[in-house]
Amino acid sequence: MKRQVPLVLCFVFGIVMIFTQFSPHSFSQGIYEEVISWALIIGPFALVLATVTLIQTHTARIRRRTEHWQYSFVVFAGLIIMVLIGIPFKPQNSVFEWLYNNVQLPMDATMFSLLAFFIASAAYRAFRARTFEASLLLITALIVMMGNVPVGDLLSNDTASKARQWILDNPNLSARRGIILGVSLGVISQSIRIILGIERSYLGGGD
Amino acid sequence: MIKITQWIVVTLVLCLSVSVAFSQGLAPLSNVTAVDTPNDNGSSITIKWDAAAEDSGVSGYQILRRIADGELEAIGDLLPAETSTYVDSAIEKGTAYAYIVRAVSETEATVDSEQTAPVEGTGEWFHTGKIPLFITMLLFSAAIVWNIYSARSGKDIFVRRIPGLEAVDEAIGRATEMGRSILYSTGLGGVSGVATIASMTILGQVARRTADYETSLRVPCRDPIVLNVVREMVKTAYLEEGRPDAYNEDDIFFLTESQFAYAAGVEGMMLREKPAAIFLQGTFYAESLILAETGNSVGAIQIAGTDSEHQLPFFIAACDYTLIGEELYAASAYLSREPMLLGSLRGQDWGKLLIFAAIVLGVVLELSGVSWITTLLQRVS
Repeated sequence: MKRQVPLVLCFVFGIVMIFTQFSPHSFSQGIYEEVISWALIIGPFALVLATVTLIQTHTARIRRRTEHWQYSFVVFAGLIIMVLIGIPFKPQNSVFEWLYNNVQLPMDATMFSLLAFFIASAAYRAFRARTFEASLLLITALIVMMGNVPVGDLLSNDTASKARQWILDNPNLSARRGIILGVSLGVISQSIRIILGIERSYLGGGD
Repeated sequence: MIKITQWIVVTLVLCLSVSVAFSQGLAPLSNVTAVDTPNDNGSSITIKWDAAAEDSGVSGYQILRRIADGELEAIGDLLPAETSTYVDSAIEKGTAYAYIVRAVSETEATVDSEQTAPVEGTGEWFHTGKIPLFITMLLFSAAIVWNIYSARSGKDIFVRRIPGLEAVDEAIGRATEMGRSILYSTGLGGVSGVATIASMTILGQVARRTADYETSLRVPCRDPIVLNVVREMVKTAYLEEGRPDAYNEDDIFFLTESQFAYAAGVEGMMLREKPAAIFLQGTFYAESLILAETGNSVGAIQIAGTDSEHQLPFFIAACDYTLIGEELYAASAYLSREPMLLGSLRGQDWGKLLIFAAIVLGVVLELSGVSWITTLLQRVS
């Protein structure tokens, strides 16, 4: 029973949601919007559980004095400050906005900017011309890079940007479309397995 | 007496309007029709007319509508002269509307078309424009379902070797030998993402092996619902393997919903705990390379898998094994070797074969100057 009810619900809602994609009638679109809003309602309840696990994790870190346990106090400070300001005064509050714009956004931007260095180190490893494929990758990357910078066109009389565009529009796009086709078919196949109850691992445990 | 005077005034005004209109060369628009917009939810009516010729002096159109015998009201802005269609989306269901298209000249002279027959907006139960898509979906689904049920007969189904999935046991074994933990990230996707569900399926299989080997499995989650599902899955996997004592709920925890804060948290875990094996499976965005490069720097064996085609090159460059696109969805069948799941993979391959045949046929026909298949596909899209 614990398994059958979710499987039946999954089958019924799966079929209904497929039908709503082919029916523009306001009745079926109403069902679609209703079901989506149910999914949104589950979110806040799950967030409470998630916040509890976050508190438990960091409390345990402090209690056990694990490595860098002091940073857990920063987590609690951030959590308490944002809750104390955000809940009574709403997120539009100037202090809340200031903290978001001057603390969280710069930290996010810092993490994002690290990507440039990671790309450099990954590219160094990937482009080492040890094999034929790696050499091909290196040459292609050089052409695309030259096509992306103004000096490339200056030196090659616009040939670099044309070659770059050809690479992006032909071999690159063909490969991407192949992957997208495979992914789309995979998604349909996985969805059918879930709707028919063949794939049940998401219910917890095995098949 | 008053009525006669009013009649004379109205007649004079009409005569004046008509004479001004004709002096500007304006003629009433022809073929003005109003129909219920097809394949919608009944919230709009489409008005069509033959656009005036370029030298007719018409500079734009104003749409007028009326309910039953009510007053005429102008709707929308003045439309450009080349327009020949207008969709009125501001209608009330169950109310019939009649329309007039007024041609306007540069000197603001106007001439009205004949009034259309009253029309109501009604919602359609089936989108006729999606019939080819519906048939394709049915055919593809039938192929998968047929293969799934034919696989129940026990016939051996060949699945090509997927190195990334072959390496799962190797990665878990390595972590066990080194006495270090395994880090598993389900990515940034929510529970409604098919890639996340596929990732959780792989996690279930990984959890069975970690339960056997008594290896620590750490799962930082970004989505609260995913967290709860993952906890339940891993717990059941440990129970089914007869090792409920080895399950530690604290190892599966919520990190944050913020993308880069999640990346920073997972990166920190990699650097502090130095896991021997890292699984990055699911939906990833810009943080993919940050995670994969950090994992690489701590010397972990890394198995990544995603359907985000923009992140695949990063994973291929930085990880030991990468499940490319559909391989992620094939993982549960591959790892479990369940005949019905393997059957769905064969059905999927039939779909690919059909698409490949359509591409080859389309190219050959297009090169031969026959373009009906291209036209058909353009209509479907």
